[in-house]
Amino acid sequence: MQTDTIIQIENVHKHFGKVHALRGIDLNVGRGEVIVIIGPSGSGKSTLLRCINRLEEFDQGSIVVDGIPLDSAENINAVRTEVGMVFQQFNLFPHLSVLDNITLAQRIIRKRDKKEAHEIAMELLHKVGIPDKADCYPLQLSGGQQQRVAIARALAMNPKIMLFDEPTSALDPEMIQEVLDVMLALAKEGMTMVVVSHEMGFARAAADRAILMDDGLIVEQATPKVLFSQPKEERTKAFLSKVLS
Amino acid sequence: MQKTPELEETPKRENGFHKKFKDIDQWWLLVAIVVLLIILLVTTKPDPYNRILKFVGDGIWVTLYTTMISFVLVLVLGLFGGLGRTSHNTIIRGIASVYVEVVRGVPLLVQLIIWYFAFPAMVKDLGHAWNIQAFIDYKANPIVMAILGMTVCYAAYMSEVYRAGIESIPKGQMEAARSLGMTYFQAMGHVILPQAIRVILPPIGNEFVTLLKDSSLVSVVAVADLTRRGREFMAANFIPIQTWMMVALLYLVMTLVAARVVKWLEKHSRYER
Repeated sequence: MQTDTIIQIENVHKHFGKVHALRGIDLNVGRGEVIVIIGPSGSGKSTLLRCINRLEEFDQGSIVVDGIPLDSAENINAVRTEVGMVFQQFNLFPHLSVLDNITLAQRIIRKRDKKEAHEIAMELLHKVGIPDKADCYPLQLSGGQQQRVAIARALAMNPKIMLFDEPTSALDPEMIQEVLDVMLALAKEGMTMVVVSHEMGFARAAADRAILMDDGLIVEQATPKVLFSQPKEERTKAFLSKVLS
Repeated sequence: MQKTPELEETPKRENGFHKKFKDIDQWWLLVAIVVLLIILLVTTKPDPYNRILKFVGDGIWVTLYTTMISFVLVLVLGLFGGLGRTSHNTIIRGIASVYVEVVRGVPLLVQLIIWYFAFPAMVKDLGHAWNIQAFIDYKANPIVMAILGMTVCYAAYMSEVYRAGIESIPKGQMEAARSLGMTYFQAMGHVILPQAIRVILPPIGNEFVTLLKDSSLVSVVAVADLTRRGREFMAANFIPIQTWMMVALLYLVMTLVAARVVKWLEKHSRYER
């Protein structure tokens, strides 16, 4: 699996004022690998994810994505077009129809013409199972449908990596599975994914590696099966006992 | 439980006459009344009302076009101010903040006087100091100075309106746009501003109505607007009551119509929420 590395994170530190949110993170993600990051709130897992496409600046260390170091503004935009991100709160553009949400960035960044962008958008809407909602506005959709549109919007840019920041945490329970199904299908297709989520079922089914973060550090990493059933660290055991119960 | 009958009655009241009445927007009625009043005055008592209207007529156009030109410039300059105020760059934000705070702290009347009287004097002084003939010969055009003065002043207020609008859009919108690879300006133009404009349309409309009224201040810097024409008529004819009633009614028509147009725009720019 670890044939070549697509994300290289070395000794990344991040402060929010006095809070030391990331305290030296080292992580390599292989091409096609699916990683699930778990950990208590405030452990820095979302911050780490947001550092990968530089929505959050880090103070020290380096991150290289697909050979592009995150240093200059130019490189950051280049990396962002290769990295799709899905947010907890969906963040769809409420003033645009579902179709326009998916075609906007394609047209202004990938410079695709209207017809091509439209076709790609419809194809992706079929893939996420809601082609009939193309002309709806985001706020007319359920949370699960909105999140699936958000995934389609990110995929329309043909990203090499997809980041998911607690994609199901804001959803009603009955809508979680429809989003996880889309993510599972994506993982099967070989997409490189970094997922911050406490969905253990998804982690078991799709992840190559599970990582537990606490207090700005990576505490333990292993295959999901090993991490969830035979954790070595006390902090992992304590956290899992709370989440699994 | 007691409320139930009342609740059932309400929809009934919406039907028929009341509903139709609501649809045409009762405020247009006020506009119509004021217009009718003016027509009535002019036709039944042409002396002095028709004479006043004819005399101040050109002033109406001056008031309208100075206000409109200023307002278009205010919308543009205010946008830069608003972007500056919300910028993460400390220097840009500092410049925008100083501009807004200084301009908001000086009355418009004083600013207009500065533009028309102090600014040309300053240019002349510089001309003498540097020996530039063009500067020494400089003569301020009242209308240009009035538009400039109103624009600089109102753009500061408008900056704050834009800032409020931009800040009202959740942070996630900018993050989502940037994460798709858009630049700051692409994200502003395609995602943030289209949403912010809808939020700030009512305050923008208010600014327009206020500017329309404040434009009467340009009468002190030699612009022959509605107010100045009214003063000239009064000076020649000594009928203050009739003159100023007419002028006030003319302003009222303009502001009421402007307010209706803003309401209409608001209604037609909503999106599904």
